[in-house]
Amino acid sequence: MHAAVRHLVFRAKRTQPLEVAVASRALAVWEHRKVVGLLVRRDLKVKYQQSVLGYAWTMLEPLALTMVYFFVFGVILQADRGMPPEALDHGGFLLYLVAGILPWTSFGAMFGESPRAMITHGKLITTMKVPREIFPMATVGTKFVEYLLTLPVLLAFVVFLGGTFSWTGMLVWLPSAIVLQFVFGLGMTLFLSTVNVMFRDIERMVRIITRLLFYGSAILYPAHMVLQSDIPEWLKTLYQLNPLLGIFQMHRAVWFAGFPELTPTTIALWSSVVGSFLMLVIGYWTFRRLEMSVLKEL
Amino acid sequence: MAQPSTYTTDGAGPVIEAKGLGVKFAVNRRRKRSLREMFIHGSKRDPNAEGDDFWPLRDVSFEIAKGDCVGIVGKNGTGKSTLLKMIAGVLIPDEGDVQVHGKVAPLLELRAGFNDNLTGRENVYLVGSLHGMTEKQIDERFEDIIDFAEIKPKFVDTPVRHYSSGMKVRLGFALISQLEHPIMLVDEVLAVGDKAFKLKCYAAIDRMLANERTMVLVSHSEKDLRRFCNRGLYIRNGSLALDTDIDSALEAYNEDTKAEIAERKKRDAAKKKRADGDKNPDDGKSEGDEA
Repeated sequence: MHAAVRHLVFRAKRTQPLEVAVASRALAVWEHRKVVGLLVRRDLKVKYQQSVLGYAWTMLEPLALTMVYFFVFGVILQADRGMPPEALDHGGFLLYLVAGILPWTSFGAMFGESPRAMITHGKLITTMKVPREIFPMATVGTKFVEYLLTLPVLLAFVVFLGGTFSWTGMLVWLPSAIVLQFVFGLGMTLFLSTVNVMFRDIERMVRIITRLLFYGSAILYPAHMVLQSDIPEWLKTLYQLNPLLGIFQMHRAVWFAGFPELTPTTIALWSSVVGSFLMLVIGYWTFRRLEMSVLKEL
Repeated sequence: MAQPSTYTTDGAGPVIEAKGLGVKFAVNRRRKRSLREMFIHGSKRDPNAEGDDFWPLRDVSFEIAKGDCVGIVGKNGTGKSTLLKMIAGVLIPDEGDVQVHGKVAPLLELRAGFNDNLTGRENVYLVGSLHGMTEKQIDERFEDIIDFAEIKPKFVDTPVRHYSSGMKVRLGFALISQLEHPIMLVDEVLAVGDKAFKLKCYAAIDRMLANERTMVLVSHSEKDLRRFCNRGLYIRNGSLALDTDIDSALEAYNEDTKAEIAERKKRDAAKKKRADGDKNPDDGKSEGDEA
């Protein structure tokens, strides 16, 4: 396209000011947005073409899990006692679970794939001159589309279980949840994809951490139960500092707006906002710091 | 294709400019280290942390003018491919810089970007677009590409994982040689395919060169080098030893190789003499055996 512009852009990284470097790099990424689109389309094509039932299969897994969790946590452990009684009329514990598990499937998948975001494209990265950010961005983009594809299923549940629609949910919680989840996800992917090239065992650690975060982000029980329990105060604060807690509470607040027990606390809210953007900054900084070494290693 | 505006004022000024190019690899340090290793050894107690930088290339400067075909010769591991990667912009130099005025068609790794699960057709569209071809351009050339790659029609819509490695490489070459970028970087890919395909590749490259395009070629085949190149860069021990016409470069390279072989023979003879003493026949490690 505009070789001269791109040429300038790649040169610009040497001229010192940081904002200029970041801005010109962002411009270079923007110029290559088509490539991101191509990679996303390719990944989706491969994923859904694998089997005839493509889409159905990808939905079946989280739904089967939801049933298991509903049985174990709802029926046996009675985690629904953490829900305000009135909320039970608006979809109840099952909707609460589905509204958490569906966004988590795409987030967990992104977390799991992020360490390989650069490695899998090794050959492409070492032959094609493009801003390297686009590879982690493509991974995140694919997961974003996959997330959007879960929405029809979620809506079916909302209708079927009698969930309620609210403007606060639609205009405040849903957009914030989506933006923060993918800002955090992009930062995380930028970070893990490069660090994993240098230290290959990150990948295994990620699997464990995903598990911990799944339980730590109150997907299967209302966070309220933890905050009401008699664990030490500092532990509760620590619990709320997990940015994902706030993000996934937002995902549920979309359908349970107005219940203070089911909306993020102030600490959770702020740590999800600050934490997500901080993750992006850390991720991008790490990415640029390690870029040269990563190119040598790939 | 969009021509780069300000920089390529046709013929005036070089197309590729390298100034004091150097790249450094850290041996031992950071290379493929796992976290476990880091915790065990710590970052301080690395026995050979400093002074273990290895410079495959250093202080390399040259300019390549439009229409030149430059061959890079040298032993294995002297940084020829590294140099090519820096020109391609897929490796960032630690020292100096390289400026390339115009888009680059990288014939480096011909299967790059192919996805095994997609069909040949889908892959052509994907990789072509990745390299900046528009859908229309690919539509127009699709027949040519398939024809050149000698892919039978029934395989066009088969996933690439069922292709033979030869088919994949042929398809890659057919596709990338369709790019109209003004600069071509070629790394050893002419060695692919059978005789008939090779001849076709030669013809394709001749055609591209006739088009006032610039090419940088890394190869161990003297025949290829002499055939295409009008200039040779001889790289020895990570630095540019000679920048002349291709014949002189090859001559210097052959001279050095001969000297090295003679040296090795002498060493082997000495070793054998010693080994005869204590009967230890482990001299099966002759490494560099390139042409």
